[in-house]
Amino acid sequence: MSDFNANNIRGKGQANSTIIAIGGGKGGVGKSFVSTNLAIFLANMGFNTLLLDLDLGAPNVHTSLGEPLPTKNFHDFLDNKVESLNDVLHPTQIPRLKMITGANDHRDLANISIADQSRLMSGIYKQKSDFIVLDLSAGTHTSTLDFFLMADYNLITLTPDPTSIENAYRFMKAAFFRKIKRYEQQLSLDGLVLDLMKNANEKQIKTPADLLRAIETVDKERGQKLRELMTDLRFQIILNQTRSIKDTQLGLSIESVCKRYFGVTTDFLGSIEYDNSVWHALRKRRPLLLEYPHSPLYAQILAIARDLASPHLTKKVI
Amino acid sequence: MEPRTAKSDEQNYYEILEVSAEAPHHEIVAAYERAKSTYSPDSPSLYTMFSEEEANQLRRLIEEAYVILSNQAKRREYDNVLKARTMLQPKPEELPDLRVVDQKTEKKDPPPTVSASGAVPTGFLKSRVSVYEANPQFETEIANAKEFDGEYLKKIRQYKNITIEQMSKETRISRSYLAAVEANDYEALPAPVFARGFVVQVARLLNLDDNAVAQSYMSKFKKK
Repeated sequence: MSDFNANNIRGKGQANSTIIAIGGGKGGVGKSFVSTNLAIFLANMGFNTLLLDLDLGAPNVHTSLGEPLPTKNFHDFLDNKVESLNDVLHPTQIPRLKMITGANDHRDLANISIADQSRLMSGIYKQKSDFIVLDLSAGTHTSTLDFFLMADYNLITLTPDPTSIENAYRFMKAAFFRKIKRYEQQLSLDGLVLDLMKNANEKQIKTPADLLRAIETVDKERGQKLRELMTDLRFQIILNQTRSIKDTQLGLSIESVCKRYFGVTTDFLGSIEYDNSVWHALRKRRPLLLEYPHSPLYAQILAIARDLASPHLTKKVI
Repeated sequence: MEPRTAKSDEQNYYEILEVSAEAPHHEIVAAYERAKSTYSPDSPSLYTMFSEEEANQLRRLIEEAYVILSNQAKRREYDNVLKARTMLQPKPEELPDLRVVDQKTEKKDPPPTVSASGAVPTGFLKSRVSVYEANPQFETEIANAKEFDGEYLKKIRQYKNITIEQMSKETRISRSYLAAVEANDYEALPAPVFARGFVVQVARLLNLDDNAVAQSYMSKFKKK
């Protein structure tokens, strides 16, 4: 691929679609559930939507959509068997919704090289669709973080369990520092950041917000530039499997703590109740929204999808 | 502990409770309840983000914010301080050339406002509320000053021919508080946020660099 260029993937802006990434650190918190159902709603609203299962080593979005494992996948693209991602698009039973998954058996399933990752990312940027939904894998692997950071909307799924909250925080911290790292090279601030972090205790740097402030004190111009660049990282939190009204309060608390800790905008996008119909639907290998349209979750996920789509909806109407 | 308080100077009480400055009382109460539970010791949302000590500090700030904002009279007073502070920020461009006023620049390039609003006799300068005899030596001394305490502010005020009454009228700070600022009577002054606001307004009326003055003054205030 001639257009592969490490710098190309560094910024957003050249994307042809609105990208929504769903991360969250821990496994089993509903990343695939949220991304699948979100994608269905977006497609239902009339948007051409592409659902990418970037859990390359363990794809199962197709299962929750009730589709067989596609014969063509990301790995065909990476192995140069096909020209572009267009050739591995797999249509689904839902109109306007297409998906791409990883391979079921491949010599090097989950471990994606940096060059392959860049190719995949520029391939994703080139896709022309209204929305691209990225279902990420668990953990804080750098490739997962990069996929997360390439998106316009950075969604975090978590459940009210302390383990899930802990991992979601860990994920957000990792993403935040990954992004800083990217810009500190661009602004040649790497030496300074390293220096500040070494003396973090003396300089009273306990949170990322402190770090940004400290950089600003030392180098005002570049510090402000960095802060400006960091503001397009915007965590949006979805609290999944809530069981009581108290859990909604928890969502707001997490929003407040993140704002204070990171110093970047964080929104609590909404909560999704715990519902047995989710696993009933999964057992039947049918998307919840098609199988149980009367579930309370329908309205809850719809609200989240509307929230994300609203800026784009108005444009469509006009 | 110290840096948190320093930081809280940047964050006002509204920001601490995450409400808008126009929030009605019931919203402030609700925000306080929410903040209290968010930063309560057993809150799951704090886990791995803030240490016990930091959470303590945050809780103290939240209580402090609530005490002020839930009381109508205190809130009004605090709003005035905030207003004064934000009014200061957009006008820094006025400060430099007034601060370095010496006779040379004064003669060469008299500010249009002075000529338009009536003559100031040669050798005299104008402040917002008074006309006073210029003393180039003292002017340079003020321009180069780094340390500001109450006495020095008083000296500048008297030099600029401004009475406590005029100052009180202009800044809307009570005379007793102004006297306390000038007397370095920290005991008589309210909480640091308020005191800082007072000092800033005094500095502004005296055509001083309000930031430098407030910083210098407050460093002494905090040491008490």
